[in-house]
Amino acid sequence: MTNEIHGRLQSVLREVFDDPELTVADATTADQIDGWDSLMHVNIIIAVEQRFRVKFAAAEIAGLKDKGQNIGTFKQALAKKLATR
Amino acid sequence: MAQAAATIRAALDPGLDFTAAQSLHRQLKRFRAASPPAGEPLRIALLSSFTMAQFAALFELYLFGAGIDASIYMPDYGTLRQEVLDPGSRIYAEQPTTVIVATGWRDLTQVPTAGQSAAQVQQMIAAEVAEWATLWKTLHDRLGCQVVQNNFDAPPWRTLGNHEAREGGGLAGHIARVNLALQDAAPPYVTVHDLDHLSASHGRWTWGDERYFHLAKIPCAPECQVDYAHSMASLIAAQRGRSKKCLVLDLDNTLWGGVIGDDGLGGIRLGQGDAEGEAFLAVQRYAKGLRARGVVLAVCSKNDHAIAREVFDRHPDMILRYEDISCFVANWNDKASNLRLIARALNIGLDALVFVDDNPAERLLVRQFVPEVAVPELPADPADYVRALDRHRYFQTVGLTAEDYRRADFYRANVARAQAETSAAGLDQFLQSLRMTARVGPINELSLDRSTQLINKSNQFNLTTRRYSSAEVLALTQDPSWITLTVSLTDRFGDNGLISVLLARLQGEVLEIDTWLMSCRVLKRGVEHLALHLLCERATARGCERIRGTYVPTAKNALVAAHYPSLGFRAVGEAAGAGRTCWELALEGRVALQFRIEVRHDE
Repeated sequence: MTNEIHGRLQSVLREVFDDPELTVADATTADQIDGWDSLMHVNIIIAVEQRFRVKFAAAEIAGLKDKGQNIGTFKQALAKKLATR
Repeated sequence: MAQAAATIRAALDPGLDFTAAQSLHRQLKRFRAASPPAGEPLRIALLSSFTMAQFAALFELYLFGAGIDASIYMPDYGTLRQEVLDPGSRIYAEQPTTVIVATGWRDLTQVPTAGQSAAQVQQMIAAEVAEWATLWKTLHDRLGCQVVQNNFDAPPWRTLGNHEAREGGGLAGHIARVNLALQDAAPPYVTVHDLDHLSASHGRWTWGDERYFHLAKIPCAPECQVDYAHSMASLIAAQRGRSKKCLVLDLDNTLWGGVIGDDGLGGIRLGQGDAEGEAFLAVQRYAKGLRARGVVLAVCSKNDHAIAREVFDRHPDMILRYEDISCFVANWNDKASNLRLIARALNIGLDALVFVDDNPAERLLVRQFVPEVAVPELPADPADYVRALDRHRYFQTVGLTAEDYRRADFYRANVARAQAETSAAGLDQFLQSLRMTARVGPINELSLDRSTQLINKSNQFNLTTRRYSSAEVLALTQDPSWITLTVSLTDRFGDNGLISVLLARLQGEVLEIDTWLMSCRVLKRGVEHLALHLLCERATARGCERIRGTYVPTAKNALVAAHYPSLGFRAVGEAAGAGRTCWELALEGRVALQFRIEVRHDE
């Protein structure tokens, strides 16, 4: 399940960042990806919501970019959404 | 490179997914970095109290889809009023020709509370409108620009429930009343963009997704920004004369169910009492409504002409009649050739056509061989045809004039004139038989809208193809160094309306013709001779010795390449720019031109 989510999330990020070569690991943080600013964050969440058919609360969206968060925690939040859908 | 632009334009659709639309915008940026636009981009300022960065990118994308390269200036977030009111702010250095005031309901300055008296609420409505009218006037006085102002989108919730619309202090009713007042208060240089309709068409709860407003002050649900941008771009396209002009309809399974050649008059499905038949009635009613406001209708069908026409003449449930169709083409030739034929017959460009056909193979063929023609995808169910067509906003308009309401009749009258022409012995005799009367005069408040419309959409009989907004035209009419002239023409078959506009500037002893255009409906009727005669009279009265004209070639105005020499002008060498020619006429000793038109002067 997490592997599948990883692949799908990575392909959404590739689409949003317009970079077909982009690879992310669980430890990757937003700061490490060029251009992941607050507006791009919104673009990412919109794309993730569309492609995974989930919906985040406004506070969750902001929280996903907080200090200490990374791709791993993003995937966990996503998995939780998918499980309760 | 042209291929890259065509690929982007072909992918554009108002229903694009948000992320896909953003990808397309990045493609556009790459394309424009490699191949910058040939002309000066349209300067637009986008003012809002919302975060409009995502919207602006999508807006730029759809403008490009409509053939418009724009440079968009956005001031800092949250500075809408300061930007307009401070004469030193950057907008006045940027000199935009169009300013968009992208408001939403949160920008209301006056919000009534339940229980307030009707008189108080009326005052609030007046104060609200006055607030925005002041901004429009300030912008217009300082920039001479066009303004596009959003109206207010009613929020989805109603604290007063159903009573919200009736109660003076109810927000929904208040917004509806403010929107009406805003529309009434808008001067000619302001277009009110109907944001409230856009919100309702998406569903108010869908449109008003609050999460992204709370998070990032995004004006509506993120995915709705795509259609919002398309809607706004369609208004700018309409102002620039880029709306479509003609709806070309297939017949079998597009206007009725079944195949007339196989099923016969009694076998096709059209009319009340049958779901499919009623769906086709709705399609016809929609087309008839477009015709009534000036969209030209044509038919392009693979059919025997007599059999196809018989449906229009004899089927009792047909809403569209044969007289509604300005160009009726039913034969067995390929549709790409027939669409070219229709464009020629109606004297309009291929890019002014929208082709509607239920058959995917025909749509594919037309897209491939006449890519200029817009071809919307049609769903399988005819009940969805109207939506499939309407959502593209092909025929967007920023104002209708008397000419629009009568356009279909003009085209029909042209058919009658063409028949009279073949029966009259000589051209001169034919022109006399038309019993033409022209009303001539400068551009005034009554002719401003129609003149601006012609300036922005005439392509063929247009010597310089210079486009001006109504604000710019208005300024010219008030400038004593400019002469403006309009010609309206009536003949025994009907009123052609205002059909020619000339703008000329006095430069010492020379009158320089800046703009000379005419509707192709009245070609070869002597109107050019009349117009030159009137211009010479005015030039002489103002002490000029010569009239100078320039021809600026475009893809569409080859028709008038020899316009000036045919009127007796002599060449004065190539002007700056590829293919431009410059011509002069000495006023003294010129040969008087003939015209068979009686003249009445308006002042």
